[in-house]
Amino acid sequence: MQTQRKHEKGRTVIELRGVVKVLGEGETAFEALKGIDLRITQGEFCAVVGPSGSGKSTLMYLLGALDRPTRGEILIEGANIAGLDDRGLAQVRNSKLGFIFQFHYLMPELTALENVMMPMFRAGTGLHEASQRADELLSELGLGEKAHRPPGRLSGGEQQRVAIARALANQPLVVLGDEPTGNLDTQNADKVFAIFERLVKEQNQTIVVVTHDLDMAARTQRIIRIVDGRIMDDGPTQEVLERHKAQAMARND
Amino acid sequence: MTLYPLMLVARRHLMHNTFRTAVSVTGVAIGVTFMIMLSALMTGFEKKFVTETVESTPHITIYDEKRQTTDEFASWLSDTTGGVTTVENAQPRQTPRRIAQPLQIVEMLRKLPEVQAAAPNVIGTAIISFGSRERGVGLQGIEPESQEAVNEINKYIEDGQIFDLYSSGGAMLLGGGVAENLGVRKGDLVTIKLRGGESRSLRVVGIFRTGITTIDYSRAYTLITVAQQLLGLGRDVNQIVVRLRDYTTAREAATRIEAMIRYRTESWQEANENFLAIFVIQQTITYLVTGGILIVAAFGILNILIMLVMEKLPEIAMLKSMGYTRGDITLTFFMEGIAIGLTGVVTGCVMGYYLTVAVGALPIPMKGLIQSEHLTMNNAPGLYVVAGIAALVVTMLASVIPALRAGKLDPVETLRGHA
Repeated sequence: MQTQRKHEKGRTVIELRGVVKVLGEGETAFEALKGIDLRITQGEFCAVVGPSGSGKSTLMYLLGALDRPTRGEILIEGANIAGLDDRGLAQVRNSKLGFIFQFHYLMPELTALENVMMPMFRAGTGLHEASQRADELLSELGLGEKAHRPPGRLSGGEQQRVAIARALANQPLVVLGDEPTGNLDTQNADKVFAIFERLVKEQNQTIVVVTHDLDMAARTQRIIRIVDGRIMDDGPTQEVLERHKAQAMARND
Repeated sequence: MTLYPLMLVARRHLMHNTFRTAVSVTGVAIGVTFMIMLSALMTGFEKKFVTETVESTPHITIYDEKRQTTDEFASWLSDTTGGVTTVENAQPRQTPRRIAQPLQIVEMLRKLPEVQAAAPNVIGTAIISFGSRERGVGLQGIEPESQEAVNEINKYIEDGQIFDLYSSGGAMLLGGGVAENLGVRKGDLVTIKLRGGESRSLRVVGIFRTGITTIDYSRAYTLITVAQQLLGLGRDVNQIVVRLRDYTTAREAATRIEAMIRYRTESWQEANENFLAIFVIQQTITYLVTGGILIVAAFGILNILIMLVMEKLPEIAMLKSMGYTRGDITLTFFMEGIAIGLTGVVTGCVMGYYLTVAVGALPIPMKGLIQSEHLTMNNAPGLYVVAGIAALVVTMLASVIPALRAGKLDPVETLRGHA
């Protein structure tokens, strides 16, 4: 089932319809997102770019079912999650989504293997099966030998790879990255993107990353540019980048 | 299966900072330890007092007084004369008081189902003189067989037997305290003088020590016939003592008996009311003090859990992003508090046991309400259960607050703070 779903390229996995998000209350309230319509299809590797404060993180938390929109609909595989309660959202996060953050947020008291097993435990996977899959994932990412180390005894790059393995643990519909390479040196950042590229190519994995690093964004297939809570540009990576360069040059002249 | 990862995380949290965990466990353990030791001490003292009291004194004593108050007399007068009467300066009659038909009463009492034994007594205030020394005592004339069935005397006699009272020429048993004050030893001949003027020589055939100071320092036993003769009572008695099958029912039994025979009937509780009241205060103080210790320990847990939650904000956000619910997070931190509490309770029970034994072994001679070489510790399992439950309840209350806070945390806020 899982693998079959992944091969259906072009199917809509997440769709946003008129999403508005108001942050804060009363006088300090402002619209972080001012009406977003977006459709992400199976197997896409997208980058969400934009200046800081543009609303890209807010968009990320909505895509990740960590937050609810003030208005509008968020459809994950056709089902609107805007009306779900906390338990329902948690269920969606556990079964459909995999997160990777700038700061890896591994549990320091757990081994790398146990960290990867945590989402599987929540899904009800048995100890044996979970440990087997976690071991496979870590081996694929070149950490097989270090599976039993606590995060404190892994390098930053290795820790981020553990976080990727954890995000993949429940075979998510979409992997969401919030500045996943923001805290890494170029070499390690490159490794992380290489893993993403491989996942997209080999497993048709849908990946959405928020980044302000245009070099990294250049390696994706699609760029969504957000400015002031609105989508300013959206399209194949090359086209968006060229338009962006042209605009920047026009401003310089 | 979802409980397993929560337990794993909870366990690792506690194991990770063992020093911090140990400190909070110690807090609970100390609370439990002292609660056990103090309640063992306090209930031990009370239990010893009650046991010694119900063993060495009658459960119920019937006095030669009618419970008739001045007001009753006044109202009787008013009824007969038809006017308003007040009675002032009322005094009891001077004639020697007695219980009429004592044998019938004793027989009737013995037939009551709750009564185990009953015995007639003759009591009077006497002065014992030995050489130049004099001491006042309460002289109690007894029938050794029936008296022994009511309250144990024989086992407290240090050298001699209760039946030695039958030895010819007149004999008496003397309380250890009185004997010490007078310098009397077994075999000495003392003069006993009643308030009425009668006096006679009696040989001390034994010295008893019950451990209850009020008895040991003020009582002497002799045969009932000797006492009757000294008091000029003939074959009458002025007190009847009763032993019940269950000493805890003494209050009710006393009320019932008094209603039947119309003489003032007093239970052992009533006779020792002032001491029993002290025990109630004592128990209250014990529970307040130990409760205080436990509350301090609870604040320790509260503190540590709040710190832990603050420290684990990113992890909590991460767990939520993985699909763990508010309830899962709350349960994790709650389990941590409970684990601290349980470990503290178990440690505290073990420590409490040894502390109780150690305090009980301290040589602390007591001369007061009761006499003893050591503090009497009531090392009863019930105390451990009470202390354990109290500590767990307090721990739970202390854990709930930070656990709920942890559950409520909004992951987005944490993530924004870091982004």
